[in-house]
Amino acid sequence: MRWLLPPLLAAALAGCTLFGGTPPHAGPTAPPGAGTAAQPGPGEAPSAPPPQRSFRLSPAASALVNQAHRHSGAGDYDQAAATLERALRIEPDNPLVWIELGRVRLAERDGAQADALGRKALTLAAGDPAAQASSWHLIADSLRARGRNQEAEDAERRAGSLATR
Amino acid sequence: MLVLVVLGYVLYLDHMVVKQFEGRRWTLPAQVYAAPLELYGGLALKLPEIEHELQRLHYRRAERADHPGTYRLAGEHFEVALRAARFADEARPPSLLVINAGENGILNLRDAHGAEVPVLRLEPLLIGSIFPIHGEDRIIVTPAEVPPLLPAALKAVEDRKFDTHHGVDPLAMLRAAWVNARAGQIEQGGSTLTQQLVRSYFLNSRQTLSRKLREAVMAIALDAHFAKADLMNAYINEIFLGQDGDRAIHGFGLASQFYFGKPLEELELSEVALLVAIVRGPSYYDPRRHPDRALLRRNLVLKEMADQGIVKGRDAAAAAQRPLGVSARFAGAYYPAYLDFVRRTLRRDYQEGDLTQAGLRIYTSLDPRAQDEAERSLEHELDRLDRLGNHPKAALEGAVVVTAPQSGEVTAIVGGREAGYDGFDRALDARRSMGSLVKPFIYLTALESGRYNAATVVQDAPIDLKLANGQHWQPVNFTRQVYGAVPVVRALAESLNLATVGVGLDVGLPKVAATLQRFGLPQPPEQVPALLLGSLSVTPLEAAQLFNGLANGGFHNPLRAVRAVISSEGKPLKAFTLKVTQVATPEAMYQLDRMLVTVMDRGTGRPARALLPPQLIVAGKSGTSSDYRDSWFAGFSGSHLVVVWVGYDDNAPTGFTGSAGALPVWAHIMAGLGTNSWNAAMPESLAEVHIEYPTGLRAVPGCAQDIVAVVVPGNASLAVRPGCGFPESPAPAHGVPAKPANTFLNRAQQWLQELAH
Repeated sequence: MRWLLPPLLAAALAGCTLFGGTPPHAGPTAPPGAGTAAQPGPGEAPSAPPPQRSFRLSPAASALVNQAHRHSGAGDYDQAAATLERALRIEPDNPLVWIELGRVRLAERDGAQADALGRKALTLAAGDPAAQASSWHLIADSLRARGRNQEAEDAERRAGSLATR
Repeated sequence: MLVLVVLGYVLYLDHMVVKQFEGRRWTLPAQVYAAPLELYGGLALKLPEIEHELQRLHYRRAERADHPGTYRLAGEHFEVALRAARFADEARPPSLLVINAGENGILNLRDAHGAEVPVLRLEPLLIGSIFPIHGEDRIIVTPAEVPPLLPAALKAVEDRKFDTHHGVDPLAMLRAAWVNARAGQIEQGGSTLTQQLVRSYFLNSRQTLSRKLREAVMAIALDAHFAKADLMNAYINEIFLGQDGDRAIHGFGLASQFYFGKPLEELELSEVALLVAIVRGPSYYDPRRHPDRALLRRNLVLKEMADQGIVKGRDAAAAAQRPLGVSARFAGAYYPAYLDFVRRTLRRDYQEGDLTQAGLRIYTSLDPRAQDEAERSLEHELDRLDRLGNHPKAALEGAVVVTAPQSGEVTAIVGGREAGYDGFDRALDARRSMGSLVKPFIYLTALESGRYNAATVVQDAPIDLKLANGQHWQPVNFTRQVYGAVPVVRALAESLNLATVGVGLDVGLPKVAATLQRFGLPQPPEQVPALLLGSLSVTPLEAAQLFNGLANGGFHNPLRAVRAVISSEGKPLKAFTLKVTQVATPEAMYQLDRMLVTVMDRGTGRPARALLPPQLIVAGKSGTSSDYRDSWFAGFSGSHLVVVWVGYDDNAPTGFTGSAGALPVWAHIMAGLGTNSWNAAMPESLAEVHIEYPTGLRAVPGCAQDIVAVVVPGNASLAVRPGCGFPESPAPAHGVPAKPANTFLNRAQQWLQELAH
């Protein structure tokens, strides 16, 4: 209820013109009328805090990730990566699998690819702070591996802020 | 002197025969495999579909699953006697698998001891091989892989004295000569298996006396130097057994796959007899084209086998009652366009000789289900479109590329409407104007500039540009109308040319060109205004590369068909691994993808709705080049990207827009794939809002007639439709497509509306 009251009050008081402001330049003309910030209005998509998700591995993906860990442990990164790609074909939208693949690339000292895989995981992890934090940790490690310590610290900070959310 | 010359010649032939025979035994075309099907609990594969997949691999239903290659169906579970299988990363011995399936798919998998198996792949389907220019294709079999019936039958029918003669059988030759002389034509062969082998190895098929003599000398030489068992094995691997376009089917290993789609060792009596029957004349006794002849000769072979005591008369009689059992399509799995892509990928790393001779095993990402769906839909829809088309002489052509966007794996390629025909591969080689397929990249560039969003109003107004060459460029809309002020989301959904050119010129051609290149366009495009209407020519595969980045949340991965290459000894040689590069911000990408969803709901993609499952969320864009020469549709779900091109080979106008030509093909494929909805997570800095579709003005649902949900940056400032009240709301939304708001919000909205009245 707390999140619903202010907007209603504001609406009642201010009608529809909450924010003035110029619309973004849009080619030749801008539309007439007053602007409003793009916060969802009533009847629009739910505007509660983002639904929290918590990614987990399915038994199939989990078995493959474990198998990949064994390959990695034996130093066989090619096999580990091939096994994780099998897991990705089963769960392409699961950030945890992408993070695992990024970890293998990092172990192979392919920092650039580890970074890219971390960012891929991050886009999939929206709404899951734990998975987002793991993605940032991977990105931080991949930056550090390439000597970009300042950026690594920033990434680490982002991970930290998610963890405490 | 003459004796010396003859002796010298004989010694020369002897030397040559030995040398070539030893060398030639090891030339093996690379074998190419489809992606293995991964089975696991939760996979939405129902009983009949599981059975279909087993049958695709030519597993046989049996009373008991006790031989590799058989399965038993009992209620809702399968017992499958798995064959030994070689994957890129492991070899697996034969084993028993129990699949428990329910209404919605696989419940779980268990092994022979009842232990749960979390995930297991079926063996990969052999989809072809990379054979040399002269077209000889074969699968080598070892003596252990040959059913004992086969050599016995060959001897019985072709060469009864094989075990005892010295390479030639003079009596048989004389008898044949006598029969032929009386008939005045060649009616009997009289050649031993060794002679046939020599002919196939070294000689052309002209029937002259000198060639006959040379053949005899060489056969005697071979017989003297090599064991009978070696010669039999060489014969089984060498002999010509059929023709498939440019591809010559050699050896019983490949013939077994070619005619029956299963390994030689699993052939039954009637099938062995058919292959032996074909030896005498692969074209004359072609079981697909001349089934009656083939059946008669097969039964003759069976009778001969019974007469010589190789099989019981009863068994032969039973086998003679069986149908030919030849698979309808050539081996059910011959995909020339896909193989073409595989070959081109590998030519970068391998010499031709390595591919055609070294016995490599090549593992690809081809998904036979997607491939079949794409072939079927293209053929079916082109037949329909041809009846509506406007080219009296030519038939419409088409091409399809299907990928798994997240991995960048190409799962299907169709190079033309006759998919099994090894000809011009349009998916890889037809370079055609991309038309409006370019528009998403223009709007993505605009979104990334930060100056545009889905609700931004742009002008669809006449354009007159003076070009560098002094000419004037005056593009028009497809409908030849001018639409005035429209929001970006509508300009893209309805593919408005004038509005898009305006946006493209505003953000700049170099930026648009750079976006296309980031997404994988191989060459820098010419930076002319016509680029904004898709004057750029691309192949369907290149279009798939570009759209794959859109389907993969703004990550580029080079499209790949080959997963791994393994040596003939099973050693991994090369892996083509997953590589991603971020080429767009998650925010811009999500906003664009949501607009591409609107294309399907409101715009040029809308006709697909009737063909797709109602709940399936997809995104896409049509493309039509000038004068309707090319009809494109490129679009994606959560798990598949499909690109379709339709047009004439001679570049004549088709009369079809992308929505009329390529879209129905696309929709049929999408509907048949069993795909998942596009369901990307919305970045937290974005918000979903509603605008009036014609004007772009913000309006709550119910407040105006034509409202559409769009996604814009959370801090974007939107103009509001007069009379539509808007409160401020906290944190931006998360999640995808507009769901009915929760009851709280609905009540709030009602309350507001009541206030307004």
